Amino acid sequence: MTNFQRIVRRREFTVLILILVLGAIFSFTTERFLSISNISNLLLQLSGVAITAIGMTMVIITGGIDVSAGSTLGMACVVSGYFLLGGYSPFLALILAVLVGLGIGLVNGTIIAWGGIPPIIATLGMMNLIRALMFQILGGKWISGIPPSVRTIGLGKWLGIPIPMWIAAFLIAIFSYFLSYRPLGRHVYAVGNNPEAARVSGVNLKSTVVFVYALTGALAGFAGLINAARTGIVQTNTGMGFELDVIAAVVLGGTSALGGRGTIIGSLLGAFLVGIIKNGMVLLNVPALSEGLVIGVLIIISVLADIIRARRETR
Amino acid sequence: MRNIWDTIIGNRMFFLSLLFVILFVVLSLTVPGFLNLYNLTNMTQYGVELGLLALAEALVILSGGGGIDLSVGSMMSLVAIVIGVFIGRVGLSPSLAIVFGMLAGLAAGLFNGLLVSVGKILPLIVTLAGMYIYRSLALIIAVDPQFGPNPMPVSNFPKSFYFIGQYRIGGIPFQVLFIFVPVLLILHFLLSQTAWGRKLYGVGSNETAAIFSGIDVSRVRLTVYALSGLLSALAAWVITSRIASARPDIGTGYELQAITIAVLGGISIQGGEGTVGGVLLSVAIITMLNNGLQLAGIHQIWQMGALGLVLIGSVLLNQFLIRRRKI
Amino acid sequence: METIVLECRGISKSFGGVRALKQVNFSLRQGEVHALVGENGAGKSTLIRIISGALLPDQGEIWYQGKKVEITSPRLAQTMGISAVYQDPLIYPYLSVVENIFLGREIKTPRGNIDWSKQEEKAKELFASLNISPHFLRQPMGELSVGLQQLVLIAKAIAYGAQVIIFDEPTAILTEHEAERLFQIIKRLKEQRVGIIYISHRLEEIFQIADRVTIMRDGEVVGDYPLSAINREMIVELMAGKHLVEEIEHGGKKGKEPILAVKNLTKKGKFEDVSFEAFQGEILAFSGLVGSGRTDVAQALFGIISPDSGEIYYQGKKFKAYSPQYAMNQGIAYLPEDRKTQGLFPILSVSYNITISILRQIANHLGIVNAKREREIAEKYIKELNIRTPSLEAKVFNLSGGNQQKVVLAKWLGVNPRVLILDEPTRGIDVAAKAEVHQMIAKLVERGMAVIIISSELPEVLKLADRVIVMHEGKITGVFEGEDIDSTNLVRAATGERMLPGKSD
Repeated sequence: MTNFQRIVRRREFTVLILILVLGAIFSFTTERFLSISNISNLLLQLSGVAITAIGMTMVIITGGIDVSAGSTLGMACVVSGYFLLGGYSPFLALILAVLVGLGIGLVNGTIIAWGGIPPIIATLGMMNLIRALMFQILGGKWISGIPPSVRTIGLGKWLGIPIPMWIAAFLIAIFSYFLSYRPLGRHVYAVGNNPEAARVSGVNLKSTVVFVYALTGALAGFAGLINAARTGIVQTNTGMGFELDVIAAVVLGGTSALGGRGTIIGSLLGAFLVGIIKNGMVLLNVPALSEGLVIGVLIIISVLADIIRARRETR
Repeated sequence: MRNIWDTIIGNRMFFLSLLFVILFVVLSLTVPGFLNLYNLTNMTQYGVELGLLALAEALVILSGGGGIDLSVGSMMSLVAIVIGVFIGRVGLSPSLAIVFGMLAGLAAGLFNGLLVSVGKILPLIVTLAGMYIYRSLALIIAVDPQFGPNPMPVSNFPKSFYFIGQYRIGGIPFQVLFIFVPVLLILHFLLSQTAWGRKLYGVGSNETAAIFSGIDVSRVRLTVYALSGLLSALAAWVITSRIASARPDIGTGYELQAITIAVLGGISIQGGEGTVGGVLLSVAIITMLNNGLQLAGIHQIWQMGALGLVLIGSVLLNQFLIRRRKI
Repeated sequence: METIVLECRGISKSFGGVRALKQVNFSLRQGEVHALVGENGAGKSTLIRIISGALLPDQGEIWYQGKKVEITSPRLAQTMGISAVYQDPLIYPYLSVVENIFLGREIKTPRGNIDWSKQEEKAKELFASLNISPHFLRQPMGELSVGLQQLVLIAKAIAYGAQVIIFDEPTAILTEHEAERLFQIIKRLKEQRVGIIYISHRLEEIFQIADRVTIMRDGEVVGDYPLSAINREMIVELMAGKHLVEEIEHGGKKGKEPILAVKNLTKKGKFEDVSFEAFQGEILAFSGLVGSGRTDVAQALFGIISPDSGEIYYQGKKFKAYSPQYAMNQGIAYLPEDRKTQGLFPILSVSYNITISILRQIANHLGIVNAKREREIAEKYIKELNIRTPSLEAKVFNLSGGNQQKVVLAKWLGVNPRVLILDEPTRGIDVAAKAEVHQMIAKLVERGMAVIIISSELPEVLKLADRVIVMHEGKITGVFEGEDIDSTNLVRAATGERMLPGKSD
C-alpha cells in the first residue's frame, strides 16, 4: 500500500473532506459564513473544545470516558471569574483555573485507577458533585462584569486569529509531540491496546490512567478561563453540555470508543467539524435545539462506520 | 467486630433496611416537617417517577455487556412533551395521547436496543448519543409556532388527565397504588418467576455461558432496552399528570439519580446481580434523602451533589464486595 | 560440554489435590535446543508456566545461570532473561512492530524522548541477526500474519537479552515456509548461545532441530536423551506408557444405523475432511493432542461455529446446526471444555445452573416457572450425580471442581439429548468425582444415548471408549475399535502418524 493510499484510508482524511465540503456548502448558501468575523467567531468558540479534546482523546484511547469536563470547565470559570473580578492578574487567574481543573482530574483518575470504578460512573458522579459545589460558591448568583481589560486572553487577536486558537494550536502541537515521542505518551496507547501486555512490559497502569484524567481536567480548566475571559459571565450552568461537544469531537475525529487508537489532530478536525455544523446551523436559521439531534446522530453514524470497517478488515 | 461489619455490608437487603431506618430517624429528628403524614405521602409521589426510571436502569444494567442507559431522563422528556402536544395542541383524548406516548417511549428504547444488540455498539455510546438525540427531539417538538421559536411547555390538560398524578385513594397517591406497585410486582415476578428473567440473569452474569446454554443473548438485551423506554414513558405520564405540565426538559438529571439508585440497591455494574427488592429500598432511601434536603432548605442542586457522592460510594462498596469474593 | 543455563530440581506442583508435576528434573544448556514432549496433561505446560514465572512451584528449586532463583512473575522472568513465545501473543495490535518490541524498555535520547531512529536501527539489527528482512517494521502489529508476529516476539525476546527462550507449539499456526524460516532463526539463536526449550508434538520437527529431548508422562519425567540416542518409536512408547486400565462395562446396545453421520466436514484453519459416524448405545471417544481440532468439530455440530463445507446427517436427515438453541431442541447437547467461562454461571445458584437450559420443561407456555418442578429436577440430579452442595441455592463458585463439573453435566442431562458431546468432562477434578462421572456416562449409554467424549487423558479414553477417533491438526489420523484401542496406537496417531487403512498422505 502506498503512503498516499494509507493517508486516504484514515478517518482524519474523511473528516477533512467533510469539513471542506460543508464549508463550501455553507459559503454558497449563506452570505455570512466566509466573513472574517464569522470565521474568527467560529474559531473562538471551538478553541475550548479543541483544547479539552487533547486530554479527552487520551482518555478515550485508554478505553475510558470523562463526562465531568463540562462541570470542570464551569468550576474553573467560577474560580478564575472571581479572581478576574477582584482585579488580580489574569495570569494568576489562569494558573488557578488550571490547578482547579487538575485537582478535579486527579480525583477522577484516582477513583478510577485505584477504586476500580468504571469511568462513566466516576465521572458522572463527579459531574454532579462539582456542579453542586459551583452552585454553593456562586450562591445562586452570577458573576458578571469582568472588565474587558483583563479579558485579552479571550478577546484578543493576533494576526487576525483569536488568541485562544493560537493557544489551542500551541497545545495541540506540544501534546501531539508528547504522544509520539514521550514514553508516557506511548504508554497511553499501550494501556488502551492491551493492558495486560502493558503490565507485563513494566508500564505503570495506575499512573498512566491518573495522568490522562488529570490532564483532561487541567485542560478543561484552561478552557474554563478562556470561556470566562471571552464571555465575561459565569453562571451556575456554565459549561453544561460541553463534554458532549468534546466527546463528539474525539469520536468523530477517529478515536475508537473501544480504545487503542486515535490522534489529537483527528480530534482537532472533529472539533472543527462539530464547530462548523453548529455555526452553519445558526447561519441557516436552523433552531439551536436541533444541535443535540445532529451531533448525536453523527456520533452513531461514526461509530457504526468504525464497526463496519473493523468487520471488513477481519474478513 | 469485623464479622458484624461483614454481615451488615455483605447482606445487601439488611444493609439497605438499616440505612433506611437510620435515615428515617435522623431526618425525623433534625428536619422539621418531615415526620408528617402529608409530607410522607407526598414524598411517595415523587418516588414513583424516580422509582420507575431506577427500575428501567436496573434492568439494563442487569443485562451486562457494559449495559447502562444514559437516556432514561431524555426519553422521559420526549414522551412527556409528546403526550402534552397530542393533548394540548392536537386535541386528542388523553387516553389516545398516552398510548402514543407509550409507543414513542417504546420506539426510543427499541432504537437503543437495536444499536446495542444488532449494531454491537457500546451501550455507553449509544445511550449517550441517544440522550442528546431525544432531548433535542423533545425541545423541537415543544416549539409551538404560534408562540415563536422557543420550546414551550404544554399545560392545557383536561381535568380527567390529572387523576393518575394528583388524586389519592385513602390518602395514598394514585400513581403509587395503580402504577408503581403493579410495575414493581410485575417486574419482580418477571425477574424471579419467569424463564425470561432467568435468561436475563444468565446473560448478565456470563455471556459466553449463556450462548453455550442456548440463550439468545441479542434478544434478551434488545428487550431490556425496549422495556427501559417503556418504563421511561410511564414515568413521563405520571410526572406530567402530577405537575400538570408537559415540559421538554423535565427529565434533565434523572439519569444520574436512576443509576445511583440502581447501584445502591445492589445492581452490580458488571451485570447479572441484583433484585427489585433492593431497588425498592434504595428508591425509598434516595427519595427520603431528597425530601429531607429540600425541607431543610438545601437547594436542589445539592441533592444532585449528594447523589454523586452516594453513587461513587455505592460502586466502591460493590467493587469491594466483589473483590472479597473468591471465585 | 556447554554450561547449564537453567536447571529445575525436584519441581512438584498440585492443583487442588490433583498432582500436575512430581519431582521433575530438567536442565537446559547454552546454545541447546531441548525438546519437551508429552501427551496433554503430562505436565509440560505447567512446567513451562513455572519457568516463565506465571506459577510458583510447591516444591523444588530453580537454578539460573548458576544461582538459585525464585521466579515470581512473568515480568521478573523477562527481566532475568527468560522469555516465552506463546501461541496467544500479548501484543499491541494498533502499534507498530518497532513499538511492540521496545515498549516499556524504550531507547531514549538524553532529554528523555523516545529515539525512534535508534529503535528502528536496533530493530533492524535484531532482525538482521536472525536473517529476517525488516521491511514491515512500521506496520501495525495487528496487520501482520501470525507467523510474522511470532518472529517479532522472538526479536523482542532477544532485545530483552534473553538467555532462555521457550517455544510452545510454535509451528502449529505456521505455514510450512514460515516453519522453515523459524528453524533458520532457531539456528541463529543457537549460534548466539541462547538456550531453547521447544515444546512440540510434531516428532519429525524435533528430530530436525533438537539436540536433546525430555519426555514427560503423568507429571513425571520418564526420559531424557540426546536425539542421537533415541528414535520415534521409543519416544512414542515413553509418551504412551503402559496403562493398566480396567475397561468399564456398560450394557448399552449399539444401534444399527448411525444417529449422527458426518461427511467431509471442513472449516478452514480448524479441521479438514472430517468424516465419522456415531451410534446410540455407544461411547465414541475423540482422542488427540491440544489443538487437534476436536473441540471445533464438536462446536460445529452444536451450532457455535459454522463449517465451510461438508454434510451432517442427523437421524438420517440432512442437518445444520444454526445455533446452540436449535441444536439443543433437536436433541444434541454439548458440554463445553472450559466449565468456568463457558459452562457455568459462577455467581448463580446450583439449581439455576442445572435448570437454565431446560426452561421449557419447568415453565409453562406463558413463560412462568414452576418453582416446585425446578426444585424437583434440581434435587433429582443432585441425588443422581451425588453432587455435594450445602443447598440448592448455594452459589456454584463455592463448590469444588468435581462438583461443579457434575452440575454442568446435570444441566445437559436435563436436556435429555439423543447425542451428548462431552468436552474434557473430567479435567481438573479429583479421582473420586472422576469415577462417578464415568459411572454416569456408562448409565447414559445404557439408556440409549449416543455419547461422544473428547478427552486428552489416555487412561480415560482407554477405560471408556468403545471406539476411538484420533485427530491430529484438524485431520483424522486413526480410527480404532476393540483390541486396537491401546496407548501406543493412540499416541502414534496423535503425533501425526496416519493409521487409516487405504489412505495416503
